[in-house]
Amino acid sequence: MDTQFLVSLSVILATFAIYIGVAIYNKARATSDFYVAGRGVPPVFNGMAIGADWMSAASFIGMAGTIMLLGYDGLAYIMGWTGGYLLLTFLLAPQLRKYGRYTVPEFIGDRYDSHLARVIAAVCTIIISFTYSIGQLSGSGVVIGRLFEIDAKLGTMIGVVLIAFYAAFGGMKGITWTQVAQYIILITAYLIPVIFMSLQLTGNPMPWISYGELVGKMGELDRELGISEYFAPFTNGTKWQFLALMFTLMAGTAGLPHVIVRFYTVSTMKAARWSGAWALLFIGLLYLSAPAYAAFSRFILMTNVAGSKITELPAWTKSWVDTGKLQLADTNGDGILQWNELIISNDIVVMATPEIANLGVFVIGLVAAGAMAAALSTAGGLMIAISSSFAHDIYYRVWKPNATEKTRLKVARWSIVTATLLAGLIALNPPGAITQIVAWAFALATGTFFPALVLGVWWKRSNSKGVIAGLLVGLLVTLSYIFAAKYGGFTILGIIDTGAGVFGAAAAIITNILVSLDTEEPPQNIQEEVVDLRYPEQMVYKDGEVWMNDDDKKALH
Amino acid sequence: MKKVDKETADRYFRERTRNMIIYLIVWFAVSYGVVLLAEPLSHITFNGFPFHYFMGAQGAVVTFIVLLFINAGVSDAVDKKFGIDESRNEMISTGKTIDH
Repeated sequence: MDTQFLVSLSVILATFAIYIGVAIYNKARATSDFYVAGRGVPPVFNGMAIGADWMSAASFIGMAGTIMLLGYDGLAYIMGWTGGYLLLTFLLAPQLRKYGRYTVPEFIGDRYDSHLARVIAAVCTIIISFTYSIGQLSGSGVVIGRLFEIDAKLGTMIGVVLIAFYAAFGGMKGITWTQVAQYIILITAYLIPVIFMSLQLTGNPMPWISYGELVGKMGELDRELGISEYFAPFTNGTKWQFLALMFTLMAGTAGLPHVIVRFYTVSTMKAARWSGAWALLFIGLLYLSAPAYAAFSRFILMTNVAGSKITELPAWTKSWVDTGKLQLADTNGDGILQWNELIISNDIVVMATPEIANLGVFVIGLVAAGAMAAALSTAGGLMIAISSSFAHDIYYRVWKPNATEKTRLKVARWSIVTATLLAGLIALNPPGAITQIVAWAFALATGTFFPALVLGVWWKRSNSKGVIAGLLVGLLVTLSYIFAAKYGGFTILGIIDTGAGVFGAAAAIITNILVSLDTEEPPQNIQEEVVDLRYPEQMVYKDGEVWMNDDDKKALH
Repeated sequence: MKKVDKETADRYFRERTRNMIIYLIVWFAVSYGVVLLAEPLSHITFNGFPFHYFMGAQGAVVTFIVLLFINAGVSDAVDKKFGIDESRNEMISTGKTIDH
């Protein structure tokens, strides 16, 4: 274990050195650097940054295991977390980029011309991002803790200090380029073990092509065991729960402030469209591989572990039994471990794979560094979202409009430090299972931002009273459904708390439309700004006419 | 600054919106559509997978990625057809940003 410890430590320290170096090199000097990276990030790199921002510790460590345990029903996460990028790239990202603001609450505040809507949106951003970041911090704590064999709490604190340092220092500009480096490390760490596992099991180095066979074979094994087949649909919930969860994850993806703000960092609407495409390609690499991981691990567990004598299990099982992530009990006392005598935690799949496939100390260290990169990059993006909502939307736009640039940067940096420390404190004793907290954050984004943004961009008649009522009703319905389903046992069509967003979104859209129609139209200039979002930058909608800007001078305004 | 025919401007918006609706129909069919029909589709086998599983794990995701690249490429072509100059977009965009 000593060699392993030293190797892992060196790999992680080397990657940290890269991140910090990148952050220092790209230090934010102006406000626009801090919030939107000076708006000059090229689409391919922005795609990688979105990928790293997006793929959290839960995706990296937990998703393959979740799919292994849930079978087909786990694929709602795969489709939900990728399909949302279409809603985002078609309906919101380019239009929001043309509108040209720093943050999501700022769009809502200016588009609906209401400080109240701005403050509600800022508070929603803080709630959603804060909830989400608790999961990231405790995730990084688990990785550091397991690796260095220290308490997970101490691991969490190390992670907190690191995130606070580079997010506060580099701002969006530093974070964007750090995230590019983090993406490269995390995807390499994810793909190497699964490719080797594919080679060992099927002789084919392309896991995406080779694991189909194993899925079919496992179906046969399951039938022999008399349990439901691995790929059988809707064994863990109703079809409606699957659909509701998938919608919640998709619309939540399109409504998460820390993801949307990424599209503000590029130069034009065209660049925003290409960013979305590149981002999903980079994200897809991981999401297409997760089910392969799940299939390989389940196959190895079914064929090499289950069915062996309890005294002759492979050596790697021992260290995982010690951590409590794998439980083996010969309940019927026949000296042989049956499949149903195995209890597997979903965290184990990715982290244990290098050991199962016997890939050596360097790969194990690399996987740990990849998991850290996933946790840190997402947490960094979330901290920027929280700090901009407070320092920009609440402090500067509402509270102290005369604040100097220097003061605002200082407030932004201190709010990052405060938010990180606060989230870190809560992460020491997380209030629930990490995947569950993450699912709630998505449900809240689906119930609040998704309707407000889509109607704001596509329907000029939507007004401030409509959006305020919509945001509040969406928030209330989503929260009530989560609590009623979780603690009251109340469900509609078998939809549980993780699918709550579908009701929140429906309620918010209806409320926004009804209240808007019932109150006065928004002022003419705001309606024109909304129509203007239909066209590329060069076409300008003004006084009911469209103008082509081909002057050599800049723009009109 | 030159005025654009109302009809031309509407055509631009209609063309972009029509494309988007087509992409969203495909998006819906490969994800929600396949889930709705999961039971009957599970009897078809594709590359070793039951078809519904293949679509959930790979088919839908690959379709999403392809749709986004088609959207980016086709939108560029539409912009070009209507005489939009990206370098000018960049210039206007820098100016239009409200840098406060």
